[in-house]
Amino acid sequence: MRRGLMAWDRDEIPPGAMEARLERLRVEMKHDGLDAFVAYTNIARGAAVCWMTGFTPYWNEGLVLVGATGNPLFATALSKRVADWISSVMPLGDVETTPKPSGLIGSLIAKSGAKRIGILELDDFPAGHAQAILQSVEGLQLVDATATYALARDAMDDVELRLLATANRLAGASCAAAKVDAREARDFIAPPESVARLGGAEECFALVAQDLSKSGAFLRTESLGALGETFAARVSLAYKGVWTRQTRSFARDRAVQASFDKAALALEHFRPEAAASISDQIARSFGSLGRIVNWVAEQPRGSCPLAPVADLANTPQAKVPATPFVLNLELEIAGARWIGARLTNL
Amino acid sequence: MNTDAIKARKVALQEAMEREAVEVLVLFGNNWHADHLRYATDFGIQEGQGIAIVRDDGSTTLILDDAAECERARAEAPTLDAIFAPSLMLEVKRQLARAGNHKIAAAPYHLLPFGLLHGEKDLRVSDGASIVDHLLMRKMEVEIASVRRAAKLADQGYAIFRNAARPGRKDYELVAEMEGFFRANGVAENFMIIGVGGVEVRGMAPPSGKILKKGDLVTTELTPCFEGYYAQICRTLVVGEPNDAQRSAFAQYLESMEAGIAAVKAGVTAAHVAKAENDVFRKYGLGEYVTSEYTRVRGHGMGLFPDQKPQILEDVHIVLEAGMTLIVHPNTYHPAVGYFVLGDSLVVRDDGHELLCGTPRELFSTILQ
Repeated sequence: MRRGLMAWDRDEIPPGAMEARLERLRVEMKHDGLDAFVAYTNIARGAAVCWMTGFTPYWNEGLVLVGATGNPLFATALSKRVADWISSVMPLGDVETTPKPSGLIGSLIAKSGAKRIGILELDDFPAGHAQAILQSVEGLQLVDATATYALARDAMDDVELRLLATANRLAGASCAAAKVDAREARDFIAPPESVARLGGAEECFALVAQDLSKSGAFLRTESLGALGETFAARVSLAYKGVWTRQTRSFARDRAVQASFDKAALALEHFRPEAAASISDQIARSFGSLGRIVNWVAEQPRGSCPLAPVADLANTPQAKVPATPFVLNLELEIAGARWIGARLTNL
Repeated sequence: MNTDAIKARKVALQEAMEREAVEVLVLFGNNWHADHLRYATDFGIQEGQGIAIVRDDGSTTLILDDAAECERARAEAPTLDAIFAPSLMLEVKRQLARAGNHKIAAAPYHLLPFGLLHGEKDLRVSDGASIVDHLLMRKMEVEIASVRRAAKLADQGYAIFRNAARPGRKDYELVAEMEGFFRANGVAENFMIIGVGGVEVRGMAPPSGKILKKGDLVTTELTPCFEGYYAQICRTLVVGEPNDAQRSAFAQYLESMEAGIAAVKAGVTAAHVAKAENDVFRKYGLGEYVTSEYTRVRGHGMGLFPDQKPQILEDVHIVLEAGMTLIVHPNTYHPAVGYFVLGDSLVVRDDGHELLCGTPRELFSTILQ
């Protein structure tokens, strides 16, 4: 669950910026002939609703209804006692708490006379909510509006870029707090989590690849044992709903650590040219440091806070995204696995 | 990893499927509702979504839509058949098509992807709640062992919380200390909300940057998760010395919680426990504050989900069974002092209960420097 700082600072997220986002969505809705737009949210799939309203439910679930005019409505199954709190931390939208949010959304759609409803990620939309909305009005048409949303969401505005910069700073401080001399992986990763949350992170997932000589998989604290000779920390965190990741690799051996530091520095300074091939630019910047094993570029997509937008295995010819992205990179440096991740092109 | 619990759950699930004559069970999960998926696979999902397909021959396939999560699943559970599929819905459809005309059930049914059920005339999937819900509520002894460990961690965690709660600190800084402690002690998840202030505070929520000051009540629910199982503790502390109203309120909540706990035993209903708690409030003229205007539940079940059935309410007539794990908490608003919480986790036994929390039932206070 979200248990870090959840607060709204008007200087950080001015209402006008949120209204501009809503307007962009309405332009696309009109273009696609949608009478209304509905998006689902929970802690795993909160990115779209957060982009529209500035809020992610810390627990439970909710739906946002965007009509042709007026404020979006956030309907949530959270207790009515937290409705005022939600209103105080949600920059845009009205709040209704109800045990059946889709029933409420359906009744509002019925009242408005809307017939063609765009649903974000219709195939993945929870079936129970879809059925409840469909049952509310005869002849209602639910259409997939993932592309509609994507067009509205395409650019990153100044508000998002500023929040991303804060998230990036927090992720850097968090990774730097890893207790590198710890024997147990749990002791290694506990300080980064505290540092992220002390800095105001809304959420933090701190994972460890405890022995890079055996595996590059990042595990949760419940599965961890002793650290190996080389190991890595991966911190994924949200600040005011904006997510980033950072990964740092460490080695007990000083010479290996020195080669890891070089790779980390190269990643920190990596500024690929927009619209050029990512693969080519990664090869140019990192090829001399080691063998390029894998890379994955991530950005927010639909309801996912971070999702792959390009990777070596499936889209090796992909171009550099126009907006900042998280680059996850794996190299083999003199026989050792090195993994890094950073926000790129901010 | 509690391997005994994993094995026992697998057997219990197979038996339940056989009883209901279900050949394929589809279980959906994400970081919010991870319980069904965890029951079948022991995988604690963090990012993205997943579906487990459990077959009547005992084989299970875990399908995840996040590649890094799939890599983690393979590392944490090497015997698990884990598949990465960017489209969960398409992969599950493909897998179910292979199952042919088998009898398929799914849970939690309402959260299943719409595309999986919609427009598939040949794919008949029924609601699998009757198979899974009871397994999630009534725990086996090997599962209770993990809940017991989680409760100990809740006690230890609350001690950290008390020490962290000092005047001038921000509410989220308390959470940060807690989370560092939990990560260092193998706790991967924690459900936690907090309230800071006085009569203006109507409930708990995530921290919003409030600064602790003298006289504030600081309420929290801590719910660490150990080996997938949650246990909860609820306590209230005062920044500085409690005043008479705060002491008096605490005495009422303590009497209510103890009345509720005393009412717990196998064979009684959740409503019976709620009534025992609420009668104490009514006795003190506070009956208004046990309604849904001021409180959600008077306790609830816990296990692989931190807030599972049975909800302890006067209109919930689920019969308590030995092996259910609950928290009894008469948490609600008090007109004289604000939102106030007190609760302990326990196991329902045939003749009463086994208490899991060991933190003293006190109105704690922080020392002012």
